[in-house]
Amino acid sequence: MILAVLFANSEGNILVERFNGVPAEERLHWRSFLVKLGADNLKGVKNEELLVASHRSVYIVYTVLGDVSVYVVGKDEYDELALAEVIFVITSAVKDVCGKLPTERLFLDKYGRICLTLDEIIWKGYLENTDKDRIRRLVRLKPPTEF
Amino acid sequence: MAQPLVKKDDDRDDEVDYSPFLGIEKGAVLQEARVFNDPQLDPRRCSQVITKLLYLLNQGETFTKVEATEVFFAVTKLFQSRDMGLRRMVYVIIKELSPSADEVIIVTSSLMKDMTSKTDMYRANAIRVLCRITDGTLLTQIERYLKQAIVDKNPVVASAALVSGIHLLQTNPEIVKRWSNEVQEAVQSRAALVQFHALALLHQIRQNDRLAVNKLVSSLTRGSVRSPLAQCLLIRYTSQVIRESTNDTQTGDRPFYDFLEGCLRHKAEMVIFEAARAITELNGVTSRELTPAITVLQLFLSSSKPVLRFAAVRTLNKVAMSHPTAVTNCNIDMESLISDQNRSIATLAITTLLKTGNESSVDRLMKQITNFMSDIADEFKIVVVDAIRSLCLKFPLKHRSLMNFLSNILREEGGFEYKKAIVDSIVILIRDIPEAKESGLLHLCEFIEDCEFTYLSTQILHFLGIEGPKTSDPSKYIRYIYNRVHLENATVRAGAVSTLAKFGAMVDGLKPRIFVLLRRCLFDNDDEVRDRATLYLNTLGGDGAVVETDEGVKEFLFGSLDVPLVNLENSLKNYDPSEKAFDINSVPKDVKTQPLAEKKATSKKPTGLGAPPPGPPSTVDAYEKLLSSIPEFASFGKLFKSSAPVELTEAETEYAVNVVKHIFDGHVVFQYNCRNTIPEQLLENVTVIVDASEAEEFAEVDSKPLRQLPYDSPGQTFVAFEKPEGVSAVGKFSNMLRFIVKEVDPSTGEAEDDGVEDEYQLEDLELVAADYMLKVGVSNFRNAWESMGVDFEHVDEYGLGPRDSLAEAVNAVINLLGMQPCEGTEVIPPNSRSHTCLLSGVYIGNVKVLVRLQFGLDGPKDVAMKLAVRSEDGTVSDAIHEIVASG
Repeated sequence: MILAVLFANSEGNILVERFNGVPAEERLHWRSFLVKLGADNLKGVKNEELLVASHRSVYIVYTVLGDVSVYVVGKDEYDELALAEVIFVITSAVKDVCGKLPTERLFLDKYGRICLTLDEIIWKGYLENTDKDRIRRLVRLKPPTEF
Repeated sequence: MAQPLVKKDDDRDDEVDYSPFLGIEKGAVLQEARVFNDPQLDPRRCSQVITKLLYLLNQGETFTKVEATEVFFAVTKLFQSRDMGLRRMVYVIIKELSPSADEVIIVTSSLMKDMTSKTDMYRANAIRVLCRITDGTLLTQIERYLKQAIVDKNPVVASAALVSGIHLLQTNPEIVKRWSNEVQEAVQSRAALVQFHALALLHQIRQNDRLAVNKLVSSLTRGSVRSPLAQCLLIRYTSQVIRESTNDTQTGDRPFYDFLEGCLRHKAEMVIFEAARAITELNGVTSRELTPAITVLQLFLSSSKPVLRFAAVRTLNKVAMSHPTAVTNCNIDMESLISDQNRSIATLAITTLLKTGNESSVDRLMKQITNFMSDIADEFKIVVVDAIRSLCLKFPLKHRSLMNFLSNILREEGGFEYKKAIVDSIVILIRDIPEAKESGLLHLCEFIEDCEFTYLSTQILHFLGIEGPKTSDPSKYIRYIYNRVHLENATVRAGAVSTLAKFGAMVDGLKPRIFVLLRRCLFDNDDEVRDRATLYLNTLGGDGAVVETDEGVKEFLFGSLDVPLVNLENSLKNYDPSEKAFDINSVPKDVKTQPLAEKKATSKKPTGLGAPPPGPPSTVDAYEKLLSSIPEFASFGKLFKSSAPVELTEAETEYAVNVVKHIFDGHVVFQYNCRNTIPEQLLENVTVIVDASEAEEFAEVDSKPLRQLPYDSPGQTFVAFEKPEGVSAVGKFSNMLRFIVKEVDPSTGEAEDDGVEDEYQLEDLELVAADYMLKVGVSNFRNAWESMGVDFEHVDEYGLGPRDSLAEAVNAVINLLGMQPCEGTEVIPPNSRSHTCLLSGVYIGNVKVLVRLQFGLDGPKDVAMKLAVRSEDGTVSDAIHEIVASG
């Protein structure tokens, strides 16, 4: 299951956090753990270069995209490789929505569209759509082109 | 007041960024949500308000029941709008608000209308929302549409229905299982994602039907799977089928192995990796099977993508535990990863190298690790320290360089957990490798000269007090210990005084000088330090002359406390200082069971990703204390060995009982750990009636019943037997639990006065030869074997008959003897036809025993074994042969 998707700004403030199957009392712990992980490791990292870590039986893949950092946490079948696929879909879809690498402002301007995009990509902890063009059409309620 | 959303032009990028949600406030947004009720809906404005609601929810904000209901009702009005963008937002916000069952009805008809709409995308989204908020009754109403949707031509609609199925299977499995035919059809879909989702759902529906899963895998591995994701799923299901099936007995081939190997040549890295990992995890994988997988993983080690490097090194790290030789080819690539920017990768590489390295590469490896340690976080350092400890136990001859490494990192900066890991490792090495003792103790002494952690200082001082006096020159440690009295806080000072006193008590030659130092502590400004110094000076005796300290005094000062600490604490709390002096004999020695309420409070299990449960306490010490607190067993002498608990009941029965076998020289005590799992019962006078008619050499001498056994609160009852002294008598014991059962009123928790006597049959218990053997390793088997000499050597050969594998035969003999395998010889390389296994142990009567086992395959399956035993006593060597001959 994909346990969490989290977006934070460069100061470590949360922009989006979506948890699946994580008890409410553990969310704060995860939030601070991820933000610290980013603060320790994301400095100087190139855009979309993937970093990876594991914490107990859980995997974390994270990266930088413009001014925001993106974290994806998963376990079981969502191991580091599956999460790499998930984060690739997320980053390409977010870039697509923003039209370029997002600044924090641009990200917040497109907030609604980004929420819809995430809704198309992950559904209650499972990866649903993987193609950014298709996702772009789906959030506008347009059928996919191959159909 | 919330800031309105500002549409931002791209050319304003350089201006100061401020959040469009700056100052956003829940109350104000809820006010704004009233626009949903406007007769003339403004879709753009409504979308903006929904965005704000989503922003609040995504920040962890929660709505009260009333607020959520109000917003939800308002949102349902938005179905009137035909604006596509707004409709999409409506679907998301309904899912986020997750309305309660009684509210769902409001939106059901609108969603059902969308679900049968001509617009495909309305259908897909309505399915997703309905499945998120639906319950069983509604599901039966819409089941027909969902089944149609699964085979819909539009892949988005089909996927929506399939993923809904995956979620609904958890709550309504019987309904979803009826969709098998449609899902089966969707597995053949030409749309890659539909096939992926359908495969996942179909497998979940059929996961308990082995034959069906086998069939599914057989058909799909022959056909074509379109997406890499589906291919990965198929690989996982295939490994499951392989695990549950047996090899072809004629050719020895593994079913579906060819498919896995074929996947190693797939174009998607994800698939290649999944196949490689599946191969490495096969049961009893041979080196022929492993080779292609290791080769692709080796290529991944030098990939430019960190994720692939991580995945590869993580898998190789696991392989190294069972097949270290298979991974050695990757060592060069692995060494280059030590400098990897990603510290997780570097740590995994190091720990893998530590597992696969040979004795000659240790020094080179340590040099590389030294550079690496300075720039990783403490949690990684702890992993490395643990790996180095294992390496040192594997190659004891390398203890010098490894111990030096540990002492060097001990001097560097680091947090408590890290320092504790290092200290623990040094202590273990000192205990297990006698040659490392002196240097290890000196390293610890140097560490406490500049240690900021009181806990570690006192631990080390305590350890020094035990080990220091036994060294060749105990006086050299005194300076380090006495320095603590001058430089540290009161806790450490008190610890140092005790350690000094231990040296004085154990080393008679040092006593006069220790007395001088202890006298100086009489002027300390802390009560505890002064009290300890006074106590030791007055009890050690001899006024500082070189005389032997009385054994009774030693026992009084440094012996283990023979009362449970909890009881002592309670007695001290109840003690009134105005009355007569506290009498330690008044402290009850019985271990009280925990009261129910307290037990419940502490037994709260961590959920999800919570911290792991704490590890068990050091059992040997705990058992020794427990048994010595029971006066009836106090005369049995020193406890030789306690076995691991043996279950005497099936899991989930009314009463759970396991037994620990405590072996003394002339006695055996069975400790029955009982747990009552029925809340409405209280058990009293719980005993175990043991029938020892099949254990002729044993005579029951004592039985200690358990007074009360309340619900879910563990308790112990004991039965003691006498046996011929120093003899490894074996036998079978049958057990019957006998007790008085009383009904408990669940509302008040009070038990009735009258009870009924009842019995409960337990499984039989066997005392075997291995129970008389302590697992004690030796640091260098060859040296130990040579120094033991041939005086009491006994060599013989045995035929072990047909066995499944050489490994099975080796494990059977190790378990039979209950000895400690040395130098990793318990691991048998795959496909070996011969193997030598080295074992060491201490037999009852404290007799050291060494065993050299040579196994060979005689014919296709028959195993022959040559057993050579050396010990300090000829009768023990013969006894080991008897165990094997009769086993």
